[in-house]
Amino acid sequence: MQKNGASDVTNHDVSVKSSDTSWGVLYAPLLAGNTAIGGIMDRSVFPRNQRNACRFHRRAGMRLLVALICCGLAAAAQNTTQREASESFSIRATHLMGFESAKSNCTGTLSIQDDFLQFQQTGKTSVHINIGSVRDVFLGEESRQVGGLPLTIGEAAVPYGGGRVVSLFAHKKYDILTLEYVDSDGGIHGAIFQLDKGQGEVAKRELTAHGVVISSREDQSKHTAVEVRYENK
Amino acid sequence: MKTNNCGPLMACVTAILVIAVVLPLQSATVKSSGSGTSAGWSVQVDQVNPGTLDLSYSFQAAIYENLVDELKKTKQFQQVLREGDHRASEVPKLLVLKTTVEKYTAGSETRRAVTTLSGATKLTVRSQLLTREGKVVLERTVNGDVRFFGSNLRATHNLARNIAKTLKESSWPEGDQPAATLTGQL
Repeated sequence: MQKNGASDVTNHDVSVKSSDTSWGVLYAPLLAGNTAIGGIMDRSVFPRNQRNACRFHRRAGMRLLVALICCGLAAAAQNTTQREASESFSIRATHLMGFESAKSNCTGTLSIQDDFLQFQQTGKTSVHINIGSVRDVFLGEESRQVGGLPLTIGEAAVPYGGGRVVSLFAHKKYDILTLEYVDSDGGIHGAIFQLDKGQGEVAKRELTAHGVVISSREDQSKHTAVEVRYENK
Repeated sequence: MKTNNCGPLMACVTAILVIAVVLPLQSATVKSSGSGTSAGWSVQVDQVNPGTLDLSYSFQAAIYENLVDELKKTKQFQQVLREGDHRASEVPKLLVLKTTVEKYTAGSETRRAVTTLSGATKLTVRSQLLTREGKVVLERTVNGDVRFFGSNLRATHNLARNIAKTLKESSWPEGDQPAATLTGQL
């Protein structure tokens, strides 16, 4: 037994050691003036070493929890990365010409699946090339009439040249994505796709992320709206 | 008297008929002999050289692709190969088609639709057929444009069609060492 002080001491820490476990009691008299030692020891008794053990278990538990959270976060991040890598990049595109056996001027989906760049015409089988065969990517811009032939005929039918006014507003800007790639025989191909405005940059970024090296040559088609006459002398 | 008057008339009609029948046959023979000069030849289409012009790459690629397609359509050459094709080295009679852009007028589809008169996209190229050794067999200046309907890239299709048509109508000396250079303009 331990006594912490004289009569003015109000708290007594009492501990009993039994085998490997040390039992401790914090004794505080009920009344401030009551200094009698050996008062009713009806205070909570708890194993001192067990408290340490408990603390140890709590720390270990916390560490385990932190480790689990870290693992969970890492796994989630890894999953996201893997999903991003394997998740197919896919955009709507109009194939203008040159991409393998795909039909010209047809709309479909341009996507990246693993190491392949593929174009799937709506309702048809897809055609694909290896991304490694793409030698260069060019991005341009083009303003085109919307509505196609029906609108053109409609414009022509409007009296007093009213169709021309319609034409003035019936155009839309597109991105033109041009890919230079080689086939299995080494022959050079030029594939041209028409994408919605802003999608060209996304496609170019995706292709670059998949290892396509883009040369310093720039596509000048942004200047096509300006009527300029060039001549070789 | 009446029979005497009919004789010259009949002779005249007969002569006209003979001329009408014989001349097309003769021209057809000439044409077939002309196109026969490319028999057994294959062609390798090189990428378009933009020269000093700021021609967009999409236009260059479009001319190249359309040219390959149009030359295949004419069936004038045994094989139509692309630049870089390894098989070209195995082809015995190979010609190389080089295309250099000389003039380019960038048009606008919207302007064409609104004004009709302006906004045409025009291309002028110099097409050369060369032997493997680099000797010019044929040289032509060809135009292609889009004036009314269609996108700007349609000019490249028209140009390629004109080049293929020019090559089909042209003839060049037989043999690996051509003696003369033919030049002209379409």
